[in-house]
Amino acid sequence: MKRNSWIRKQGWVGYIFILPNMLGILAFFILPALYSFFMMFTDYQFANPNWTFTGLDNIQRLFGDDQFYASIKYTIIFLMSVPVSLAIAFLVALVLNRSVYLKGLLRGMFFLPYISSGVAVAFVWMLLFQPSQGPINEVLRFIGIVSPPGWFADSSSAMYAIDVVQIWFMLGYNMIIYLAALQEISTEQLEAARIDGAGKATITWRIVWPLVSPTTFMLLITGLIMTVKSFSLIQAITGGGPSGSTTILSLFVYKTAFSYYEMGYASTISWFLFAVILVITIIQWVGQKRWVHY
Amino acid sequence: MFRITKTRSVKLSVTILMLIAGLFMIVPFLWMLSTSFQTPSEVFRQWLPSKLDWTSHKRIWTGNYNFLPYYLNSIKIAVIGTAGAVFLSAFAAYGFARTEFKGRNTLFIVYLSMMMIPPQVVFVPKFILFNWLHIYNTHWALILPAMFSIFGVFMLRQFFLSIPNEITESALLDGAGHFRIFFKLVLPLAKPALATFAIIDFSWQWNDYENALVFLQSPKLYTIPLGLQNFVLENNVDYNGMMAASSAAIIPMILIFLLGQKYIIQGVSSSAVKG
Repeated sequence: MKRNSWIRKQGWVGYIFILPNMLGILAFFILPALYSFFMMFTDYQFANPNWTFTGLDNIQRLFGDDQFYASIKYTIIFLMSVPVSLAIAFLVALVLNRSVYLKGLLRGMFFLPYISSGVAVAFVWMLLFQPSQGPINEVLRFIGIVSPPGWFADSSSAMYAIDVVQIWFMLGYNMIIYLAALQEISTEQLEAARIDGAGKATITWRIVWPLVSPTTFMLLITGLIMTVKSFSLIQAITGGGPSGSTTILSLFVYKTAFSYYEMGYASTISWFLFAVILVITIIQWVGQKRWVHY
Repeated sequence: MFRITKTRSVKLSVTILMLIAGLFMIVPFLWMLSTSFQTPSEVFRQWLPSKLDWTSHKRIWTGNYNFLPYYLNSIKIAVIGTAGAVFLSAFAAYGFARTEFKGRNTLFIVYLSMMMIPPQVVFVPKFILFNWLHIYNTHWALILPAMFSIFGVFMLRQFFLSIPNEITESALLDGAGHFRIFFKLVLPLAKPALATFAIIDFSWQWNDYENALVFLQSPKLYTIPLGLQNFVLENNVDYNGMMAASSAAIIPMILIFLLGQKYIIQGVSSSAVKG
């Protein structure tokens, strides 16, 4: 007994427990991140190992780069999918939380896209959105739209078409979290409002919506972070095209690094991406206290 | 008041409305399956195949674009990666949840902050590191990093904290060491949490496209997402083949989802709690 309490106090056991995982995190996350930070100030190119320190040149180049501003614009359009998906998810969760038949089946139907994420889904949507003969445009022509958009094939619509797929993809995830939040609302509160004569719409808007606001806020923040980092969907469908019109920040990093092999510059862009995430996270810290009703 | 209006017919009509909405969610999958059984002349012309045509599916599994090696590669990577991640995460999570040591909270905050770093930041250094270790363009480039999951440590730590302190405390008093407590007491208690994390992690690795794209080059090493992309790049007008190949990539995931729905939804909810 004495020996064990000694172990607890000394606590070297704790280090043994976290050490194996810690080593991996160090080797594959922390050290690479530090190295990338260092490369931001060099002109490292993969083909040319003779790099030099360039100081803040990369950062200067970034802020003078038209592609950079374009990629910010496309990233913002991409991020618009987050609030839209949240709004739909909230409505679906409201209905599924009330009395419907086949709850499990319905939940599964909405959740399926999220789990089957990946390149396969991207290719299915590519064909659904096919401009000349694809089923989506067939339906649009059928209801009287003579020249429907070219979707992924057209640089003015490609980013919005990606939004549609992203909303579809994230909907089930957001809905599941909303369902969990709705189930935590006590029936007494709703009952009390009912007795006071509040109608369904009033209860939903004045009581339920404020009560789930921490969930909304959390989903908005994590959704923005997840979306700004995401890469696979767009890379598989358009590869950033047509004519760069879907090259969001994360793709801009990938292209700069692995199509042009400008590793130093790519590191700079990737740290800008980190700065975006950092800002969103700080907003979360500050905002939790100020805007969210508990 | 509410109760009275909530008649059976309302419930039924709401259900039907939701089923129609739900159908829109799964239409892409239905269309994929339907197209994979059509003949080339039927694509885009009709919604359903006139008769089940298996040629596209056969072509995916025999012929030049045999999907079997991609499957085996994916299974190998996802199984080893997940097994490693589950064990190493549980081990570290126990350290963070049940032992005390100097700097524990600081280290945990470091872990927390690492989740903010986008994968794009470490792509280039990992590329250089793997070149240097001579594991670029091998499966180890995917398996090794996958075994160290920050998310796993978070999720399992959360679960271990929910195990009453008295249980481990009394075992300590009875003379058991931390290792025995971990293996004999905590791990068996944590089976549902371990299963949840395992399923979620497996699905991530099964679907992982970015890492495979950056770190694998030889087609014989390709995983399913890369194999599929390869197929589409080389046969981009073979719509039936594309959809048969997509089905081959998605259907295992759908099966895993149907079997482990409870765990997946649990895991997704607990991931959101910690955000």
